[in-house]
Amino acid sequence: MIVTALVLAPILVGLALYALPRRDPGIAKGAAATLAALTFALAAFGSQVPDASVRWLSRPFAASFHLGFGPISYWLVLLLALVTFSALLVVRGPRTREIAAQLLVLQGAMNGLFLAKDVLLFALFWDLMLLPVFLVLVAGGTHGRTAWKYLLYNLAGGLALLLATAAFGVVSGTTDVIGSPTASAGIGASWGAWIFAGFAVAFLIKTPVFPFHTWMPETYADLPPPVVAVVSAVQSKAGLYGFLVIGVPFLGPEMAQARPLMFVLGLGALLYGAFVALAERDAKRVVAYSSLSHLGLILLAVFSGSSLAYAGALVYIIAHGLFSAALFIVLGAVEGREETRDLQRLGGLGARNPQLAGALMLAALAALGLPGLAGFAGEILILTGLYRAGFGWPAVIALLPIVLAAAYMLRVFQSIMNGPEHPDLPERRDLTWLEGLAVAPLVAAFVWLGIDPAGVIAAVMAGGAHVAGVR
Amino acid sequence: MSPAFGSFPVGADYLALQPMAVVACTPLAILFVDLFLTGSGNLRRGVAVGIAIVGLVFAGLIEAGQYPHDYAAFGGAFIQGGFSIVFSEIVIVATVATLLLSAGVGRTDQVAGTTALLLWSASGAMLMSGAASLMTVFLGLELLSLGLYCLCAISARSTAREAALKYLILSSMASGFLLYGSALLFGATGSVTFAALAAAPMTPLFALGAGLFLVGIAFKLSLVPFHAWTPDVYEGAPLPVTAFMSVVTKAGTLAVFARFAYAALPAGHAGAILIPIWVAAALSMLIGNLAALAQTDMKRLLAYSGIAQVGYIVAAFAGQTALGLRYALLYLAGYMFMNLGAFAVVELMSRDGDAVVGLPRFAGLAYRRPWLAAAMTLFLIGLAGLPPTIGFTGKILILAVTTSAGYAWLAGVLIAGTAISAYVYFKIVRAMFVHADPAHVRDERSRSSLPWLAVGVCAVLTFALGLFPLTPSNVLPLVK
Repeated sequence: MIVTALVLAPILVGLALYALPRRDPGIAKGAAATLAALTFALAAFGSQVPDASVRWLSRPFAASFHLGFGPISYWLVLLLALVTFSALLVVRGPRTREIAAQLLVLQGAMNGLFLAKDVLLFALFWDLMLLPVFLVLVAGGTHGRTAWKYLLYNLAGGLALLLATAAFGVVSGTTDVIGSPTASAGIGASWGAWIFAGFAVAFLIKTPVFPFHTWMPETYADLPPPVVAVVSAVQSKAGLYGFLVIGVPFLGPEMAQARPLMFVLGLGALLYGAFVALAERDAKRVVAYSSLSHLGLILLAVFSGSSLAYAGALVYIIAHGLFSAALFIVLGAVEGREETRDLQRLGGLGARNPQLAGALMLAALAALGLPGLAGFAGEILILTGLYRAGFGWPAVIALLPIVLAAAYMLRVFQSIMNGPEHPDLPERRDLTWLEGLAVAPLVAAFVWLGIDPAGVIAAVMAGGAHVAGVR
Repeated sequence: MSPAFGSFPVGADYLALQPMAVVACTPLAILFVDLFLTGSGNLRRGVAVGIAIVGLVFAGLIEAGQYPHDYAAFGGAFIQGGFSIVFSEIVIVATVATLLLSAGVGRTDQVAGTTALLLWSASGAMLMSGAASLMTVFLGLELLSLGLYCLCAISARSTAREAALKYLILSSMASGFLLYGSALLFGATGSVTFAALAAAPMTPLFALGAGLFLVGIAFKLSLVPFHAWTPDVYEGAPLPVTAFMSVVTKAGTLAVFARFAYAALPAGHAGAILIPIWVAAALSMLIGNLAALAQTDMKRLLAYSGIAQVGYIVAAFAGQTALGLRYALLYLAGYMFMNLGAFAVVELMSRDGDAVVGLPRFAGLAYRRPWLAAAMTLFLIGLAGLPPTIGFTGKILILAVTTSAGYAWLAGVLIAGTAISAYVYFKIVRAMFVHADPAHVRDERSRSSLPWLAVGVCAVLTFALGLFPLTPSNVLPLVK
């Protein structure tokens, strides 16, 4: 009941928002934010609820509309609700009603993705979550190319996923397997490689991992700040989540075989993202490329086969969700005030806007991995896990981008907040209370997670027997 | 059939033809009643369409009542059973939807005639769905086509006459192939019933005959490389007729193809004979979608999209599995709702159902007519194979069944074709959601609001079939 509501309520309410008057967007925004807060409460108190399952197909393979919480999805659903709530508070402009509606639809679709216990249902929500983002990009007007790139890249991945799901179903006889302790582990040598390839293409494009990333910087740059906060914080984790709940338990041998390739891709993404972030002038693109870099590190963890690194991956997935959402929301606030996000045209805002500067500083510090904040907790767990699993050199190479992260994050802060004030920039006021209310829970969450990540780690370790099949 | 009567037809034989006879006789009532309605008002249109729908619904109910029983009538020339009934019901539903679209189109004094022709064509398709002999196949095909030649030409536009002539010539050529193939098959086996074909020994003559027969079928299904006539004919014909052709012709021909492929080919040789058809299906998925990329006229776009969609359906037959047949029928039903829904939306956007509706007309539709845009979006994402529609569920079922039948390459081509098609359908979605200056967009509305009914029903079923993919179980095509 509760799991079904978590999926359907946001989608239905989101669609219903279109019935509200366009001239008075405050109602739509308020209703949407209330619903997001409600889903957070539901998810927080409802993790012990039973699954909901209805039979969908019985031939040629069994499939169900099976929704339920798992140890990982619990945290991702919470993260999604929190980020959606924050994002909804900072929606503004003439398209407020539409964006609020699409954010809710997106939340519902992604809740479905994370709660799906059936691979076919997972594939359904995988494709479904493309549509709201595409429609937001399209309605944005001038960005036709970006919308196409986003849709076609991700749909190509979605179709590979669909084909792999069909083959998975035919081989295993059922797709109702996610999180099921009794499900067969291993698909068999003859099909496994192909099925894994299909899943991997979808997951790598979505994450994205270099060299499948070319849709990402443009999409992040063109999406309105609230939407990009959700996409970067949560949608980009869908692929990594897929590797953890489908790849690790069912395609373990193939994951191990693919490890060298994935390590190369992950390290490549780590380094490439970090160096491009150092050179970018567009503040949003810096954060976009920093995401590429950070998610490369999580990819290493996911393919390490070490349960310590898995725990680190989950902590870092949540941490990255929190601080990247905060970064995009704060940068959106800056762009909304100064009508530019060019780092060379911005400057000196810190003196008159102390709260804005403080929020950006906290988010940047979390992103660069300051001990005591969530980013550090994730990184140290992943690196330790990698090292203990015998991947010393990858761990050492992965250290370098972490140092670079300090450089590009502080550069963003300096260029916007420090230095002489630019007289040609419009003078606006400091963080509004609504923006503060949006950022505050994110900051609180990544401070708490940085100090005490044990709850999240325990979730992975407890479910670890199944999640962490290898070691 | 009692032996005392030999092969003379008995009462039950005529009973098997009853639904078709109802559809074929309803036009007589329409034409007769129309004689007394000389006005030009909506009454005349309403009466013609109303009688036709009553007749079709009645025929549909009779079909449903006959569902549990398989019966070979007329010495095995026409077999009424689960298979033919499901196809006939699809034809009936599609015809009813077409009538809803056609209610406001064309001159009032022509409505009775066009309605009658539509029903006669539909009865031809119903005959094809039960046909189990080369003679009945040809009879049904010609009955279907004759009405359509006239319907294509009914509009006053010159492109309509061009389309009709093109259709007449190319369709006759296809019939020629089919007939020549039939003659060779008869020469090889000495019989025209499918039952005899299945039992015949394999000879070169038989293979040649079967090959020519399948070429004729491929023409009618507009599989690549026999597809070139389709976009021109679709573009020229009035919109409801195009909608009708895109579903009913394909359903009737698919029924013939399925019965031929499943039951009329000698065991052990069917696989080899049918390989060219699977290749043609693969080419249709790719080339149909590639050609659709460049189209801006909605009818041409939907014509190419239909070529690709039929490729998906034919792919489900690969390996001639029972499950494949069920999912082909499911996807055919889904395609019918998505496609007719899209046509109904286009109809609602044009004043007389005859004008060219191009892509620019969709600009900003989501802000001018949100419900229409929402429905169109659902149909288009369904045609593109995205959830939450029958397009998604149907496609995954076809993928699974072709993969498990050993035709993984067809599944791969299906995915590639679908990837290409995303651009085709989302081009329209994008146009609808782009903010456009209303002053630059022609905003026409249909005279009749009946197409709304078609849009609503199609939208609900496109969604619901995706969640509850019901497939009839008793559908194996029989030959005796």
